[in-house]
Amino acid sequence: MSSLILPALLVGALLAALCRHVDVYTAFVRGAKEGLLTLASMAPYLAAILTVTALWRQTGLTAALTRALAPLLTRLGLPAEVIGVVLLRPLSASAALAAAREALTLVGADSRAGRMVCVICGASETVFFTGALYLGAAGVRRGRYAVPVAMLAYAAGVLAAAAVA
Amino acid sequence: MEYKLQIRGPVFPAFFFCARAHTLAGVMGMNAVFCGMLLIGLLRAAATGQAEAAQQALLGGAGEAVTLCLSLAGAYAFFGGLLEVLRESGAAQALAGAMERPLRRLFPFAPGEERALGDICMNLAANMLGMGGAATPAGLSAMKTMAAGGEGRASDAMILFLVVNTSSVQLLPTTMIALRAQAGAAHPADIILPTLLATSVSTACGVMLCRLFAGRRGGARACPR
Repeated sequence: MSSLILPALLVGALLAALCRHVDVYTAFVRGAKEGLLTLASMAPYLAAILTVTALWRQTGLTAALTRALAPLLTRLGLPAEVIGVVLLRPLSASAALAAAREALTLVGADSRAGRMVCVICGASETVFFTGALYLGAAGVRRGRYAVPVAMLAYAAGVLAAAAVA
Repeated sequence: MEYKLQIRGPVFPAFFFCARAHTLAGVMGMNAVFCGMLLIGLLRAAATGQAEAAQQALLGGAGEAVTLCLSLAGAYAFFGGLLEVLRESGAAQALAGAMERPLRRLFPFAPGEERALGDICMNLAANMLGMGGAATPAGLSAMKTMAAGGEGRASDAMILFLVVNTSSVQLLPTTMIALRAQAGAAHPADIILPTLLATSVSTACGVMLCRLFAGRRGGARACPR
């Protein structure tokens, strides 16, 4: 079922593009270039974060932290392996991607924890960065309830991910 | 209403200034996280006498980033191409047009603020389709329009807009699908539905909480000009 979604989306995009007389080939190539450039710009950040996660994994810190937090997290319905992603996601997209990759190598992509990690990452945003950017652009010094509500919404998203993944 | 990416006078310099200032803030936050995690890791290695393991990790960790990027590159190129074809066919404009009416009702605009509606629609539509590059300028422009005359105070409509943005509205979790494909998942795209559900819950919670807090201590205000 799920493997039909992407081909179906591509067919839809193709039909829409043909109706609008879009040069599909040129557009696709331009978009592919943009995607690759985005990835390249993330690479140095990934290098920094993956160095740290490798250090934590090799010295046994990741396992120790996971063991220590497991009782607390299981009470919330979360497997302990998701903790890195949950903590890093509001801060930085590339740090969260690195943490997600780390979790997937530990628990496997098809385990419940692995799926949950992906759902949490996909269903959330870099709250602090986006907040700082948008409020800063508008010259806002008093954000009032903006950041607390954004973080509560994030927490709700994490718990929802735990329920549905 | 016409949905074009209008970049008005002061928005562009403001974008660059704020991007720099706040990327700096974001980087400083990450700086603390990075240094702290590195120090803790190194101390742990020293305390448990695992110099060998630490050295291995330090020399190999960045290499993992290279392999990760290479293995994600194909999917990134594909999704980038697909989204560009969608963008060229006017998907974002169509989506923005469809959202105008419900969003006009949803947002607690103070007088004058509804001039930002076009930019808000465009920003959310672009974000839904995962086009961050097109979404950010429209979002910043909407924020600036709503902030005019606000004297550094966020209005209820501004906060709702921010919360909807930070709760993520992206319809297709492209990066995670790519990561799952790389990690050898049997069905990489099978997280699409759960992700949609989770992000709907977080967006709905954000909207409800905003409603709850809106109007407290004079959130609504006249917007001159």
